[in-house]
Amino acid sequence: MNYYARVKKVNTEITEQVSTKLTSKPSKVFIAKDPERERERHPIFPIRSQRPVQTTPFSPQAMQNQEGLQVQVDGEVESGPAPSEPLSSLAAEYQSGSAILLEKIKVLGEQYAAIRRTRGDGNCFFRSFMFSYLEHILESQDVSEVDRIKANVEQCRKTLQSLGYADFTFEDFFSLFLEQLDSVLQGNEESISHDELILRSRDQSVSDYVVMFFRFVTSGEIRKRSEFFEPFILGLTNATVEQFCKSSVEPMGEESDHVHITALSDALGVPIRVVYLDRSSCDSGGVSVNHHDFVPAGNDLPNASDSPEKVSPFITLLYRPGHYDILYPK
Amino acid sequence: MQASRARLFKEYKEVQREKVADPDIQLVCDDSNIFKWTALIKGPSETPFEGGIFQLAFAVPEQYPLQPPQVRFLTKIFHPNVHFKTGEICLDILKNAWSPAWTLQSVCRAIIALMAHPEPDSPLNCDSGNLLRAGDIKGYHSMARMYTRLAAMPKKG
Repeated sequence: MNYYARVKKVNTEITEQVSTKLTSKPSKVFIAKDPERERERHPIFPIRSQRPVQTTPFSPQAMQNQEGLQVQVDGEVESGPAPSEPLSSLAAEYQSGSAILLEKIKVLGEQYAAIRRTRGDGNCFFRSFMFSYLEHILESQDVSEVDRIKANVEQCRKTLQSLGYADFTFEDFFSLFLEQLDSVLQGNEESISHDELILRSRDQSVSDYVVMFFRFVTSGEIRKRSEFFEPFILGLTNATVEQFCKSSVEPMGEESDHVHITALSDALGVPIRVVYLDRSSCDSGGVSVNHHDFVPAGNDLPNASDSPEKVSPFITLLYRPGHYDILYPK
Repeated sequence: MQASRARLFKEYKEVQREKVADPDIQLVCDDSNIFKWTALIKGPSETPFEGGIFQLAFAVPEQYPLQPPQVRFLTKIFHPNVHFKTGEICLDILKNAWSPAWTLQSVCRAIIALMAHPEPDSPLNCDSGNLLRAGDIKGYHSMARMYTRLAAMPKKG
């Protein structure tokens, strides 16, 4: 019997077995026992668990670990952002913590009015970016920016196609993001308000799909410009560019680093400011808060030293080791 | 739920188109339930699984493709990364390294690759893993071969 005939034969046997719900003992193929019961006994496949809801009230003492900067993971089940809070709530977190941090928060307060926290599940950079960007469009009603990013999104689609990704693996994520873009522009049937944007960003099915859209875009950009990103990736891990994308960019819950932010900013053409709140300080006395502007590569003028001054990012994120939140300038 | 159904339907159509392209994999969707699939994969050549046909069962969660499908061997197999009794497969992409860029078809390909390249350092079948770790390639091959013949090849006559 040749291979195909054999496959066909085994296949018909299987169809019969499946149709009888694997209750009958097959004669030619070993079959594990009742699959459902087996799975109960051996919880083989980890179900991605929702983070447990934290019931204990927040205590500043809990923050007092060695680093003095353990980010409190918020207790919300929603995946989206919390309501914005005045910057003083940030200071309250570190009340009995490091003096440098308190000093830095005071400095931050001169420029920034509020903070909006995002869920700390490894997707916080992408979730912060998503909310911040959509909120900016909602408030500015900047149609030309929407047209511009849509052109970039199309470019990203082509990038993924040329890298060999099958359309059906990413198109659902792309169309959900484009849907969100249209709905924050007012004046059409799908338009949504700011409150609805918050609700929608907390809807895990929407939020996760948009995060996944960003992950595809980021991965595509890194692989497209692998020569550029390779040295940075080698600095982080021992992986090749492809391995890095497969293991640290595409899977949900993998945290973002400079490489991710650079790639996403470049791919979508959106500048991002990241403000760093850590315990580093300089000896010269006065405390200052560092920030870094990620300016899309396309925008770089030949005299690179001048160009960052000209672009003012409308997305500002606060980075504390291991977590990103959204910052609102005064 | 709706999203996963739509995605699976696209995969179904893709599988129909690709059928000829990959003769090592036959992926079949359950007639009445698009969340249940079975696959027949050909044991890779130059391995003890050569000539065998192995059956995999896929249970696709509602959150697919954000969450990975649950896959196990229905055909008995002697392999360090497959549980001898349950058929559970230890493969990173079926756990924390999963991403929606994978498809049911590409998962099959990854499993075929795992059959050819066992990772004895993270064994689900310790007997099998220990043979390889002890360097007893001959022992591993003959055990794996025996089970391939017993379970994955049609009986003669």
